[in-house]
Amino acid sequence: MDLISSIVSLTFIAQVIRLMTPFYLGASAANFSERGGVINISIEGFMNLSAFSFAVFSIATGSILLGFIMAIAINLLFSLLFAYFTVKLKLDQIVTGVGFNLLSAGITKFLMVYIFKSSSNTERFEGLPDLNFFESIPILGSIFSDYITIFTFALIFISGFVLFKTRFGLRLRSAGENPWAAESLGVNVRKYKVYGILISGFLSALAGMWLASNQNSYSDGMIAGRGYIALAAMIIGKWKPVNIFFACLMFSAFEALEISLQVSGTDIPAQLIQMLPYLITVLVLIGFIGKTRPPAADGVPY
Amino acid sequence: MNTVQFKDISISFGSCSVLENVSLNIKSNSVHCILGENGAGKSSLMKVLFGMYQPDSGEFFINGKIVHFSSPLDSINMKIGMVHQHFMLISDFTVLENVILGNEITDGLKINFSGIRSILSDIINKYNLGLDLDSKISDLSISSQQKVEILKLLFRDSEILIFDEPTAVLSPVEVKEFFKIIEEFKRNKKTIILITHKLNEVKLIADRVTVLRKGRVVYEEDITDCNIDLEKLALAIVGESRVSIAVDKSSENLTNEIVVRLNNIDLYKNSVKILDKMNLSLRKGEVLGICGVEGNGQNEIAEIITGLEKNFEGEYKNKNVNVSMVPDDRISKGMISQFNVGENIYLKNGKKFIASSELLDDFSDKTITEYDVRLTNNKASLGSLSGGNQQKVIIAREISAGNEVLIFSHPTRGVDINATAFIHSKIIEERNKNRAVLLISSDLDELISLSDRLCVLFKGKIIRTFESDELSSYKSDNKVSLTPDIEIKKEKDNQLFELLGKLMIGMAD
Amino acid sequence: MNLKTKINLISVSVSLVITLLIFSLIILLIGQNPAGILSIILNDVFATGYGMGQTLFKATSLIFCACGLAICFHVALFNIGAEGQLNAGSFVIALVAVYFADLPFPIVFLFCLVSGFIVSGIFGLIPAYIKIKKDVSEVITTIMFNFIILALVNFFLLDFFAVKSTMRTEKISENFMLTKLSDFMPFFSGSSLNVSFILALAVAVISYILIYKTKFGYELRAVGFNKTASKFIGLNVNKITLIAFFAGAGLTSLSGINFIFGYKGFYEMGFSSNIGFTAIAVALLAKNNPIGIIFSSLLFSILEYGGLSVNQQVPKEIMLVVQGVIILAILSVDKIVNNYFERRL
Repeated sequence: MDLISSIVSLTFIAQVIRLMTPFYLGASAANFSERGGVINISIEGFMNLSAFSFAVFSIATGSILLGFIMAIAINLLFSLLFAYFTVKLKLDQIVTGVGFNLLSAGITKFLMVYIFKSSSNTERFEGLPDLNFFESIPILGSIFSDYITIFTFALIFISGFVLFKTRFGLRLRSAGENPWAAESLGVNVRKYKVYGILISGFLSALAGMWLASNQNSYSDGMIAGRGYIALAAMIIGKWKPVNIFFACLMFSAFEALEISLQVSGTDIPAQLIQMLPYLITVLVLIGFIGKTRPPAADGVPY
Repeated sequence: MNTVQFKDISISFGSCSVLENVSLNIKSNSVHCILGENGAGKSSLMKVLFGMYQPDSGEFFINGKIVHFSSPLDSINMKIGMVHQHFMLISDFTVLENVILGNEITDGLKINFSGIRSILSDIINKYNLGLDLDSKISDLSISSQQKVEILKLLFRDSEILIFDEPTAVLSPVEVKEFFKIIEEFKRNKKTIILITHKLNEVKLIADRVTVLRKGRVVYEEDITDCNIDLEKLALAIVGESRVSIAVDKSSENLTNEIVVRLNNIDLYKNSVKILDKMNLSLRKGEVLGICGVEGNGQNEIAEIITGLEKNFEGEYKNKNVNVSMVPDDRISKGMISQFNVGENIYLKNGKKFIASSELLDDFSDKTITEYDVRLTNNKASLGSLSGGNQQKVIIAREISAGNEVLIFSHPTRGVDINATAFIHSKIIEERNKNRAVLLISSDLDELISLSDRLCVLFKGKIIRTFESDELSSYKSDNKVSLTPDIEIKKEKDNQLFELLGKLMIGMAD
Repeated sequence: MNLKTKINLISVSVSLVITLLIFSLIILLIGQNPAGILSIILNDVFATGYGMGQTLFKATSLIFCACGLAICFHVALFNIGAEGQLNAGSFVIALVAVYFADLPFPIVFLFCLVSGFIVSGIFGLIPAYIKIKKDVSEVITTIMFNFIILALVNFFLLDFFAVKSTMRTEKISENFMLTKLSDFMPFFSGSSLNVSFILALAVAVISYILIYKTKFGYELRAVGFNKTASKFIGLNVNKITLIAFFAGAGLTSLSGINFIFGYKGFYEMGFSSNIGFTAIAVALLAKNNPIGIIFSSLLFSILEYGGLSVNQQVPKEIMLVVQGVIILAILSVDKIVNNYFERRL
């Protein structure tokens, strides 16, 4: 009974919505890259790197703002490198993604030990400041207490607008659907692919920072597969901003449930709940909720 | 006044010369047809004009001014538009999105959809295109897709319109519609360049015609009042040196036993009807020719017989025979380019599990000598060989599999004359061994000289079958090839040619 | 030497040099002497029997796993699920050995090999089957299966089979443990190097023969090079793909043999420490050639063991960075070198 009441409570719902933030940012990051035709399976690595650099620079400079700027800058550089490999050299995107994930994990583990003399945790830092604007409103106040979550909600509409209503979006999507046709109309396909990847780097930076800020530190392995779940959410959401939002809500509900389970100490094994998002993804892909279709030239080096 | 002037344009890829000193003038406000066989250089010349290829030497002028195009964008900016043979459309986009891509009119950040809509509706009405701006390309018929391509050009105010084989994919009714649009273009003072290899279209629509052969201009003529010597034109296209095909058919062991039969076969792909109550039977000891414009169901027939296509309705009978196939596209379907000759043969015909180097060498040596494959290094990967040699290896592989039924799909496409003759002799050799041969081709010469029976395929249906006696009655001489006197041969052959040509595009009963 | 081998050699050596330069640069940046660090690594790995033994021990698991992946990669499909696949198989191997402790060793060992192979293989088969039937990218399904399998193993282990308050199974019978190579080569004394290493070399050679010298290997590579043509040539593309993924994923389970029968005697959560991912890099570096995999596995295990030996001076995690750099370097240099030769030909 405890469990059920805790699930239907408002705090639980608020929790679900808050936990949705990194998923949605990660999924949108992947989406902007894939809409341009570049599969980016290193969202996990991107998030990891930004969470780490945010923590390091916030602690080192004592300024959250500087940490924020540095994390974004480093992720943009990292995504530029990713673009160099996948767009300029036209390397296989999956292998490159695997390489970037290894590299990101390697860099952060190495620097953790080198800088903090610990293989698990950085010291604590303050994290992003709270936004007090909605404070007086009961639930909204707790959901919209940080800037990144608010931006995430705005992003649902922004990415829909950008992808489907603007010149940039049309051209980005054309690069992902049929780069040859786009090029024949004078669209600079490679440029748009690079933009897509850079947006991907920016949004995954926000996701990583939110996670680090949420626990007021960086710890090894803290992304814990969220980058991959974000990919899954993008696929289940059929590459559409609003659908992705609902897929992310589902995944964050699982995470919130897992947390409630651990707190309430029921018999339901946490591992099985942990497994659910991935299992559901596979089931969805097999076709339990209709066919999903990626951009036609997704993953094709151009 | 000349809208486009090419001056001594040359292009080559590696050692292969595609265009050699081509000079050509295109008058403004005219329909200019460019004719030639596959690989004659028509498309390459147009790609130069559209900024997709840069010539190695020579220059060209638009409205009297010299231009250098480094990308299609430069060409688009000069109001040149091109409809490619394979449409450049994004199938997941709507008509509207496809049309405006690259040329979006924006209102601040947002694309000005309502403004664009009204512009496009005006164009659609003016040219009677009948398109719905919100339909997805993937839901449209081929002819509607072509109209979207046309709309793209009109939206960009293109003055010079290039069409690369626009009618190849259209039905006769659609062709008529298309010609109406072309006439409307002319009324609107546009210049139209049409690449084609259909002579009757030239007669109907062209103001001037240029024939390219092997990268050179070989013939030019102005056409007034549909007056043109088609014979002369045809000869210019194929060239005088056309080698007739030596065919030595024995008829002794024709057993006439039917080995494969298709009965009332219906086949749909993406809910488009590809085969429509198809009936076909293939006998031992014959070459059955299938004649038709590409995309009328030829590939599907072949795939049903080889067993690759299983989702059809109707009855397919196979007298327990194995089928070999030489597919139409050797690079993508016929071979493993990374493997060498021996490895490609072993892959299909090797019986031993362990591939010892002696075994591979054996396969390799045998093929190279028997099929006269020319290569510098016996271990060279198949991808590095010339088209004719690749085709020989594929044919060697399929023939030596020793199956009773052989399908040849466009066996000599893009193959030089010597290899063609060799391949033809091999096809007849197999027929004489009492094998059943299905020959799919768009080369009428090849079909007429090799086939014992000939079916005309149109929209997934066999609309006419020429039995062997009827076929031979058309042929000037049973030993077609050995006649050195081209003129005599042509008269009677041409009757068949013309009849087949009409049947293929559905213009005869 | 033909051009292709030459190109491969050039690109491998250039990327190793680049990696070495980046490695030295990092060492310099943290105020150490690259030459000194390198000599410690080389001394530790090559000058002591223990170091060499440990290096070869680590290479053993990588060889198994990378050979399996190479077979999958040859059909031009990705398998990013080795980490999960090998854990599933290894877990079952440990359970079988624990629960059939009364049977004679050869039977148990064979039983372990077969059951581990089948369990890992099935988890390779499923994504391949989904790919064939539903055209769902194997990349995403193998990634998802990593999480699913690890969660499942974790669940069964902790809820049913683990020794109380540990994350491991019970120990298998002492009699089942594989012979250490130090038993007859005292040079290696103290190291965990065991006869699995010999098995790994055999697996590499057999994989090499299978891929490059047999009908199946030709079919496998033909499917990888050109699926459409393979269909027209008459190969059963789906069957070949399924076999490749079953066999490839199955082979990854042998890493568990090395760990369980050769070293610890039990299955432990996290024993694989990401070799399923490292093996991807190992296989790529070797261009999916099993003989090459022996060498790239050695390189990667030298890095790993070398990291331990310089941990005093430089955090050992630097080797993870180096591994990441190697994979990206080989990818890009290979492409650049190939482009260069293509332009010149």
